[in-house]
Amino acid sequence: MSLIEAIRADASQLLQEGHVKMVLGYRARYDRRLPLLITQADQVTALVYDEACWQNLPTYIRKSEVRSAMPVAIVCRPEGIRSLLVLASEAQIAPDAVRVLAVVGSEYRGAMDLAAAAELIKDLPPAPVAPDVAAKLDELAAMSANDRAAFWRDALAACTRCYACRASCPVCYCQNCVVERNTPQIVSTTAAPHGNFAWNIVRAFHQAGRCTLCGACQAACPQDLPLMLLNAWIERQVREEFAFISGSGLNEPPFIGSWSPNDDDKFIR
Amino acid sequence: MTNSSADARVFAAGSLDAVAAALVAAGFRVVAPVRQGDLTRLTLWQPGQAIDLEHFTVNSAKEFLLPATETIQRYDIDGNDFTPVEVAPDATKTVLLGIRPCDAASLTLMDTVFNWDFEDVFYNTRRQACIVVPLVCTRADESCFCTSVGLGPDSSRNADAMLMFAEGGKKLILSPVTEKGRTLAASAGAAAQAAPDKTCDVPVRFNVQAVTAWLADAFDSPAWAELSAGCLSCGACAYACGSCHCFDIQDESAAGGAVRYRNWDACCMALFTKHTSGHNPRSASQARWRQRVMHKFSYIPQRFNLLGCTGCGRCTRLCPAGMTVAETCERIDAICQSTPSVK
Repeated sequence: MSLIEAIRADASQLLQEGHVKMVLGYRARYDRRLPLLITQADQVTALVYDEACWQNLPTYIRKSEVRSAMPVAIVCRPEGIRSLLVLASEAQIAPDAVRVLAVVGSEYRGAMDLAAAAELIKDLPPAPVAPDVAAKLDELAAMSANDRAAFWRDALAACTRCYACRASCPVCYCQNCVVERNTPQIVSTTAAPHGNFAWNIVRAFHQAGRCTLCGACQAACPQDLPLMLLNAWIERQVREEFAFISGSGLNEPPFIGSWSPNDDDKFIR
Repeated sequence: MTNSSADARVFAAGSLDAVAAALVAAGFRVVAPVRQGDLTRLTLWQPGQAIDLEHFTVNSAKEFLLPATETIQRYDIDGNDFTPVEVAPDATKTVLLGIRPCDAASLTLMDTVFNWDFEDVFYNTRRQACIVVPLVCTRADESCFCTSVGLGPDSSRNADAMLMFAEGGKKLILSPVTEKGRTLAASAGAAAQAAPDKTCDVPVRFNVQAVTAWLADAFDSPAWAELSAGCLSCGACAYACGSCHCFDIQDESAAGGAVRYRNWDACCMALFTKHTSGHNPRSASQARWRQRVMHKFSYIPQRFNLLGCTGCGRCTRLCPAGMTVAETCERIDAICQSTPSVK
């Protein structure tokens, strides 16, 4: 049985037997791979899977239409599984609200619950940083703060504030995003250097210890902004300074939102 | 197929950059498609840049008439003294060189909306200073659907001059259509004639009359739930669209006072219709997707006898979730065809 036949078979069985009320996977339309949300077993024939499928499907959990259809089954690569683990650790999903149709590389590893998915990725390395991105990070680290600020001001100049990045990210689930708070307006919504800098930097900071480097934000960006460079910069800091990898376990305490009495820093005592 | 006019100019396709440079020397600002990294963008052209007529641009010409952000007012604030300072609209003569016929066609709706119940001086000043030069398309991709909305790859709607490939793409014809277009001709070499290359075939993907007719009674249709399932409520489609024109006014503090901006807004975003009372009549994404489709294919036709879409396909190419008005219209058309007519 091919990879996609196995995914379809499991999806169909989960729906038919009532284990889930919705399956989130991918479909093809011409050259593109797009998300597909199905609720009937006979719709599984439209499911596809290949390396061109890039969206991080757990982002759909923000939709009330998906939440009300829980439990759901989601086709996930390791980065998507990690995103689900972040959501679980932040109490956004109950562990039994999702089944994972797990794909690792070009292998389908089967349908499993979130705990089993956590076991599956436990021994996998986190998503790699592309060599050109890693080289650019070193270049940025060697710059003065002023030069780095100028780099980001120029790199983000084409941003139109469409928020496709936010929409594609599973851990951007706030119903009332900080950029939309307007009493007072904390983050400028203006698509000019000051606003674009504020938005993209604030969003990247909010993903510290939560971003799984899935790449969906940059792939979604209509202007092809170097968002992964920004995310990789922060991921490197989180990994090197705090030895923390996003979404590494089912009950990992959230990176920003927790403190341990054994923290290295003594200033807080 | 469009034929070139009697006062057309013909030049080597590779000389388009030189023609743009001549236009700049003649005092025009030039906007043209330029390859930037992995995408092509309509941008303020600088001498030395290569104009890219091969790829479709990620942005429409809209941003040169209705920018993503525009300062429309300033205020000097000194203690309790508050003085508004007028901002002069941008009147720089601008050539939109090598946009697509679908981009040019969308100006009809923009002109209508920005002069409907209020004459928008910022839009109108830019518009009057614009010279529109679309390139007739000899290539289309599967996202194009201009022919489904009453247009075509050689539509001359709103064109001041047409650019057309000739001799298998080796030459370009600049064919003036209006007086404004004729002012460009001098920068494009000697008068000459050539036969334009064949335009591309763009298959019709749906029956737009059937879609508009269905929408008239479809507000409560259960079809919207499935039609909208993939939408993640960003603004990528609206911002890429040459016909979308919603905006938000923002006041921000600035040195010595404040600035009032007009920024793009998108009806697909979750809080687009949130009232100050806290109520949001379109809190569900299917209500917003329904609104988007009905605005373009039902409300705008009712009000202005125009379609709110020119089939450029950018929403199709750019939506991360694959939500497109084209596919929605195709599905509505399929619903129409499978539903027995009761008339």
